[in-house]
Amino acid sequence: MIEVLIDLIRYFLSILKSNQLDIPLIKPIIALIMKIVAQIPIPYLSNLVDFILAVILWRPLFAVVVMPGLTVLMIYLLYIVWFERKLTARIQWRVGPLEVYRPLRGAIQALADGIRYLFQEAIVHKDAHRPYFVQLPILAFIPVLLPIAFIPAGNVVGIKSPYAVQLTIAFISLIPITVIAIGWASNSRFAFIGSVREALMYVAYEIPFIVAAISMIFLYKSGDPYIIVENQWIPGAILNPLAFLVFLIAMLMATSRLPFEIPEADQEIAFGPFVEYSGILFGLVMVLAYEKLYVMALLFTILFLGGWNGIYISLLGDLNAPIWLTIKTIVVISIIAMVRSMYARYRIDQAIRIGFSWLLAFSMVALAIGVVIGYEGGI
Amino acid sequence: MKVEFKARRLDLLRMHLDVIREAFKQAVAPDRVTVEYPRERKKYPANFRGIIVFDKDKCISCFRCAHICPANAIQMTFYEKAWPGIDYTKCIFCHFCVDSCPTGALRSTKIHDIAFATMGEMKLNAVQMLKAPELTREDSFTVEYVVDSQGWRLEKKAEIDELALEQFIIPEKRRVSVCVDPESCLGCRLCVELCPNDAISVDRKANKLNILPEKCTGCGICVRNCPMKVLELKEVK
Amino acid sequence: MKEIAIDVPVEPPKELESLFLPIPKEYVEEVYRNDEFLILVGPQHPGSGHMRLIVRVKGDVIQEVIPDPGYVHRAIEKIAETRLYVQNIPLVERPAIMDSANLNLGYVRAIEDGMDLEVPERAKYLRTILAELCRIGTHLYDAAILSVFLGHTTGFMYPFGIRELICESLVKMTGARFTSSFIIPGGVRRDVSKEILDWIYSATFAIEKRLRSFERLFIKNPTVVARLKDVGVLSKKEAIEFGVVGPFLRASGVEYDVRKVEPYEAYDKVDWDIVVADDGDSYSRFLVRVNEVAQSLKIIRQCIAEIPGGKVISDQICEGNDIRGEFFEKLAGIVLPAGEFTTLTEAARGSVIYTIVSDGESNVPYRLRVVTPGWLYLRGFMESLKGERLADLQAIYGSFGYFPPEADR
Repeated sequence: MIEVLIDLIRYFLSILKSNQLDIPLIKPIIALIMKIVAQIPIPYLSNLVDFILAVILWRPLFAVVVMPGLTVLMIYLLYIVWFERKLTARIQWRVGPLEVYRPLRGAIQALADGIRYLFQEAIVHKDAHRPYFVQLPILAFIPVLLPIAFIPAGNVVGIKSPYAVQLTIAFISLIPITVIAIGWASNSRFAFIGSVREALMYVAYEIPFIVAAISMIFLYKSGDPYIIVENQWIPGAILNPLAFLVFLIAMLMATSRLPFEIPEADQEIAFGPFVEYSGILFGLVMVLAYEKLYVMALLFTILFLGGWNGIYISLLGDLNAPIWLTIKTIVVISIIAMVRSMYARYRIDQAIRIGFSWLLAFSMVALAIGVVIGYEGGI
Repeated sequence: MKVEFKARRLDLLRMHLDVIREAFKQAVAPDRVTVEYPRERKKYPANFRGIIVFDKDKCISCFRCAHICPANAIQMTFYEKAWPGIDYTKCIFCHFCVDSCPTGALRSTKIHDIAFATMGEMKLNAVQMLKAPELTREDSFTVEYVVDSQGWRLEKKAEIDELALEQFIIPEKRRVSVCVDPESCLGCRLCVELCPNDAISVDRKANKLNILPEKCTGCGICVRNCPMKVLELKEVK
Repeated sequence: MKEIAIDVPVEPPKELESLFLPIPKEYVEEVYRNDEFLILVGPQHPGSGHMRLIVRVKGDVIQEVIPDPGYVHRAIEKIAETRLYVQNIPLVERPAIMDSANLNLGYVRAIEDGMDLEVPERAKYLRTILAELCRIGTHLYDAAILSVFLGHTTGFMYPFGIRELICESLVKMTGARFTSSFIIPGGVRRDVSKEILDWIYSATFAIEKRLRSFERLFIKNPTVVARLKDVGVLSKKEAIEFGVVGPFLRASGVEYDVRKVEPYEAYDKVDWDIVVADDGDSYSRFLVRVNEVAQSLKIIRQCIAEIPGGKVISDQICEGNDIRGEFFEKLAGIVLPAGEFTTLTEAARGSVIYTIVSDGESNVPYRLRVVTPGWLYLRGFMESLKGERLADLQAIYGSFGYFPPEADR
């Protein structure tokens, strides 16, 4: 019986070992760990450690769980909430979060807030549809996190697919449905108005967004991120600046950032669909927009900024691609975070007019540019 | 002067660029104006209207402060004499009382950030007002606003501003009460009853008011209460 | 555009009955019968104070707005009848604390009117400086509230940052950051030294420099222009008809400013312009006030440059030049002659009227009437909302700088 189990583990191990990350930098560290472990007189310990390391360094798992997947996403969330507040404060002649660990200039403020949300009572009010109200914030994570499995970073990829870009766009388009459902389950006036506004905004940005992405697919003649990145010896932003602009604005609209912060307008409808949430549930719905922004920025980096192309450091080996992708993504998001302190909120009709008039027109022109460049076979 | 605003499409683009340029400029080199308050303290001028301190030796129990207080925050309590106590739940820091005090017994400090544990504690009596309230000072810097043609910037100095300094001294005038029109006196003896220093007596034989200048502090209570307005405060050398 | 209607019977919500709204029951029924509904905005308000607006909307378009003010009514007129004339000075400042000097000035001028007091020239200039500082402070405050209504947080922080210089100027002059109670019958409470006036003179340039940042980020921001332009229009005729006052009247093209029409203090001795605009929309209401800030800075600079020497308190009140130590003797016993004394003052948000009725015997006013600008332009504010979208309510509210504590008194 035990032999069968060990055989099974060996079989798994051989699968894992066949697709390991190749990082010259950590090879001596692994060797050192294995040497130390071998000296500890516990049976099977060295095999166990070997197995754990093999699991972590297994490429698909590494892509989804570590980089650019969940671990980086969590660190990014802590970083962006702090960074956005700090940057806004800087532009506004203030200091921003400072007192939660002063020597770090308030860098763990977001962590402190997260812990507070965790221990706060999550109130479910009487009128809410209780099952949906509680489970929707968690369900909302599915369309947000699934694209991460498809977005590759060099050799590090969860599920390799030639249609990764299209799939990501499809999943991103699913996110507003959960937000609308959250507003419906909250069963409050503000939440209801907020979800209606979210639906209207969805109509406004979705078409230009998809058309801009399709124009890039035409341009590269493929939806496969590998081909897209390979072809980008000139970044896509220069090849098709109109698509770049449309995608950027659609990104602001989709994540309800400030000129288009219409579904959550604080002064008008008091945080819209999320008005009734509290405690950890609020923490979950609050980071939803940030996670959506992360996924969209990953796509944005791949389509327009050359994906994981960067200076190759041989010491990092396979880790080069995920690191470059993450750095580019976070730089993009950090620049987008600045928009919050620059613009006032548009009215909903103005936002929809922007979406349907020149944003749509620009995306059509971008599509034409994409088709022309793709047809000529310029790259 | 007529103001108008007309923007064409190109102007709008320029305005967008202005916004982005200004935001980036501030992000790179911010014109920050924060005073990190408990650690730094802004320097306030000498005439700052803050918590009021009381000097019992100068007080002549004239009740002027209690009378003028628009918020009715001052209550006189009898210790050696009647001394004022300020209720900081009511005080609006107009400092009419400080300006009314003829001897400078009330004076202002630069303290503006006292916290009280209960509402009851906010009602200070005269004894508590004798010295400035104790502050836990966390500050090690003093910030001053410097303005010139270059703009506005904050100047930090590594010094601690003394908050409870004597700020201005009222020129002291010695005044006594005198009866200017003895003919009109009703003989009601209200002044005799009211005088806190027993300076007024009635000479029954001569049928006139006797005010002892050495005892009179010039508080003017008799003057204010005289029904015939025959008493007056006169300055003496 | 063709209107599509679905015939669904609607019951007026029960909660409208329990809220003590100042509208009859029939009105509510009529509204719901006409396929419209009532939205209550307030009394908790995201902006400047407590007021309820009962908004009758058809779809997203406002048909009528009924204000329900009075949530911050503090009975200032009644309290004033129980206080000495001079004790009322801190009281009359309270309606709008950032505009305290203008409100203070109006009341004190009414007393001076009654007592025939001659105010020394230096005191007049100091009063003008104080009034203009408060005017800038109020305009900045209103700009901040407007920008927070539009969701522009930088536009909120900048004016409040700049206002810090105004507060610093006031604290250097008077000893208090606002509600200075500095203007008293016959002059001001104490002289202001040359160093402080010089500081304020340089501060005006610092304010101007900071305002340029604010202009780039907020005033000339395309999103702000989009939200405010052609929204809440009051034509010249309407503005006069509804009795709008102050910068909001001037924004509709009426060239009227109490400071020019009946100059008081030093306004006739300095050179400045009335700011007017023709459009009468929210953006021009905002722009007029932005330009008035520039005019106020100009006035302050001229006042500081030309300020004469001499006493700051009238000889009729005090022989010396300092009221300190004699405040009670000189001012507590003020009794106005019998009669009615009215003054019109241009406060930051418009003309403020003070009427003191005195019986000639008591040392308290028989009656004090205060009409603040907020109360006067409330009607115009309500009318300008008609026909706009519900999301514009906040923008128009902010563009009027409506301040419920000031209007309710």
